[in-house]
Amino acid sequence: MSQEVEETLKRIQQHKGVVGTIVVNNEGVAVKSTLDNTSTVQYAGLMGQLADKARSVVRDLDPSNDLTFLRIRSKKHEIMIAPDKDFIMIVIQNPTD
Amino acid sequence: MAEQNNIKRVSIVSKETSSFDDHIGDSDDATLDDFFSDECLDDDDNDEHELDEEAKKARRRLKQIRASTFVRGGIGEGDEDSWLRSRQLIRPDDQMDLTDSELCEEIPKVLSCENKNIPQNLVIFSFREGAYIPLPRTSNVITLFEHEGTAIHVESAEAKAQIARDGEPLAIPGFADLKSGSQTGTTTPDIDRTADAENAEGENEENEDDAGSEAGGEADAEGEEEQKEVAVGTPTGPKKKLTNQFNFCERAALTYNSPSRSVETQTVPPPRSSFGANVVQWHIYDSYNEDFERLKREKEKEMLKEKKPGLQKHVEMKRGDAKTKAAEEFNRKYFQKCQILERMVNQNIFDEISHDYRYYEDPSDEYREDDGTLLPLWKFTYDKCKKMSVTDICLNTYYYDLFAVCFGSFDFIKQVSEGHVCLFSIKNPSFPEYRITTESGAMCCDIHKKYPYLIVIGQYDGNVCVYNLQVGTKEAVYVSQGVNGKHSEAVNEIKWGEDMQDGEVNFYSLSADGRVFNWVLMQNKLTLTTIITLFVDVNPVSGPDGTVMKMKASGTCMVFHPTNKEIFQVGTEDGLIFKCSTAYSSKYLMIYQAHYLSVHRMDFNKFNSNIFISCSGDWRVKIWEDMRSDPLFIFDLGASVGDVKWAPYSSTVFAAVTTEGRVYVFDLNVNKYKAICSQQVVPRKKNKLTRIVFNHKLPFIIVGDDKGTSITMKLSPNLRLPCKPPKKQQWLDQLTLQIQKLERLLSLVRELPDGIEEAQDDVATEVGSN
Repeated sequence: MSQEVEETLKRIQQHKGVVGTIVVNNEGVAVKSTLDNTSTVQYAGLMGQLADKARSVVRDLDPSNDLTFLRIRSKKHEIMIAPDKDFIMIVIQNPTD
Repeated sequence: MAEQNNIKRVSIVSKETSSFDDHIGDSDDATLDDFFSDECLDDDDNDEHELDEEAKKARRRLKQIRASTFVRGGIGEGDEDSWLRSRQLIRPDDQMDLTDSELCEEIPKVLSCENKNIPQNLVIFSFREGAYIPLPRTSNVITLFEHEGTAIHVESAEAKAQIARDGEPLAIPGFADLKSGSQTGTTTPDIDRTADAENAEGENEENEDDAGSEAGGEADAEGEEEQKEVAVGTPTGPKKKLTNQFNFCERAALTYNSPSRSVETQTVPPPRSSFGANVVQWHIYDSYNEDFERLKREKEKEMLKEKKPGLQKHVEMKRGDAKTKAAEEFNRKYFQKCQILERMVNQNIFDEISHDYRYYEDPSDEYREDDGTLLPLWKFTYDKCKKMSVTDICLNTYYYDLFAVCFGSFDFIKQVSEGHVCLFSIKNPSFPEYRITTESGAMCCDIHKKYPYLIVIGQYDGNVCVYNLQVGTKEAVYVSQGVNGKHSEAVNEIKWGEDMQDGEVNFYSLSADGRVFNWVLMQNKLTLTTIITLFVDVNPVSGPDGTVMKMKASGTCMVFHPTNKEIFQVGTEDGLIFKCSTAYSSKYLMIYQAHYLSVHRMDFNKFNSNIFISCSGDWRVKIWEDMRSDPLFIFDLGASVGDVKWAPYSSTVFAAVTTEGRVYVFDLNVNKYKAICSQQVVPRKKNKLTRIVFNHKLPFIIVGDDKGTSITMKLSPNLRLPCKPPKKQQWLDQLTLQIQKLERLLSLVRELPDGIEEAQDDVATEVGSN
């Protein structure tokens, strides 16, 4: 990972209300995380599936389209997922903080 | 068969008898005939019936011979008992007892030379004749035994030839005796010899030596004979080797049969894996796309191969760092996703602001008469630039939400060690999208209209540099070089020019040293041409050593005419505005005695290019008409005016910022004397506002201060009132209405409409050359 990316990730983590950032590789293994192990594994597994499904939905509707971003607003958090072919980035933020 | 056998025996016997007859000659022992008869008859009991008389005679003779031999043997031995004993023959039990008369009875037997068993009337069907044709009768001769001998007749041609070749054959002992017999007799030598052997048996007492030698020699008789025949020969005869007829051996050659062999190899089984996938439409789409890309690449490769074989190496070289490229690509993607996430996090944080930015329209405006307000939105800062002043703000022409902010210092004493240019996006107010660091304070920048990724930066030290955001922000793609290749003082304004005729990208820069340069982006360097050097319109100052110096005008700002790209105006430190053309480097088209202090900024009206506005350190904002030496409007803002800009959406609205931290928005259509909005944006004592920019698309302005902050502010509805078309002319669009509005306004203001022409006559003021 380049310096730029590291910096950006660091900045994201410092933003208001950000609970954690997770980077999952294409095998579903979390390669970078600021959360504890259990929740990292849980997030990585579940979000990976969800992102795949979401991507599939978008692409099924129009093959030339692609998923770029997915956000889930829950009562407590907002989970933001930026999926890519090779990795998935997940940021969990508490927007009410 | 039995009959045949009999015949055979008989024939042999007959032969024997004949040979005996010949050989032994007549023996006179006829007396024994009767003596033997009973016994003999016993033996030939069955046969005798069939024998004819001749045979019988022969038989009798044979008996005689036998008897004679016995007699002789017996005599030879001198033992009478021996042959008496032989009389005591053991009779078989089933032997018939015959009377003497019966015994003496003569039973004639006839041997016929005719074979009775041969079919008489054999026929064969001939297809040719279509009838049965009788076959010729087969002969009665039955060959019972045949043997070809090796001996040849002495007088035969062959023998003569042999003798001629090998000489006289050696006499073989015993052979000579036989010779006469064999030669005289009609029998074959072979039979002769057999008879000889038999003879030897019979005469074993007499010819013991002979018989022994004969018996021993029997085996190799043939070989010897042959050898002799070959060995003994006349030396004179031609040595012609006879083929060995006897030592014949069959030579069979067996070809070697290559043994069949089965070879088996067991390969490692191919790796197997179970694969399962759901195929959906986009999988197919993707694979088609991939295939298409691959084909395209192959085609390109082929084209390269065909066209330029030299280039191939280059391509291969490139392939070498494909890995690093892939890593770069990966990083780029990573970074992109990070940016998206950061934007989203920011959106969540500044959720309310973004809503305001997009949807909030100040409702209180309805209750105010003409006034409007500014709603502060985000503040853009960059940590490293907190103590620098915003020297320029430039909007990106492609992304309306992206703008570049230059950080530097206007103050000569408080110069910064390094300058920055940050490109902020309102999507991410917390951090700039791009950061460019310059060697000295960045004074101005411009983003190319056609290539929105090209950004040119003018620095305080007089250098200019061009960055390509696509390539990266670390290194400039073009930098001015050398003392002569740059301005000698701070670059105060920089503007991209229209592309040249041959498509070369170029830009103009104005510096405090009074020069306007035109820079062209060549293949790998910047080339520089001086467009004009500005001189102050005062008498030359004489130096201490008598030299005369013309005072140069220090340029502070420059604007290009919106329609006529050749025309540009330069504001100077001493308050003059020069109207120049890139076509003439020695003449000004017009000089406006505009301000008392340095002209800070100028701007052409967006709807009428004859109208421009200027602001100055003398607190004034003035609106000018082209070629008119007197301003149309003068506004005093009570503080040094940093920047002034016409609004893009209205022909009569402009905004200005002062060093006291106030933003003024005027709408001449509404109020010609007072600002319709005057708002303190930053603390009056602490901060000074330096720059202002209208967003082209959305109703907000960006204001820069001298503490490195850029503030975005939304214009309230009153500040951007659209023109209402008159009731009779509803079809008119905003553009014409805006132009009409301005025209109407100007017609009121213009006191001397004829004065324009007068002014035009004496505009061209001579510019002294260096």
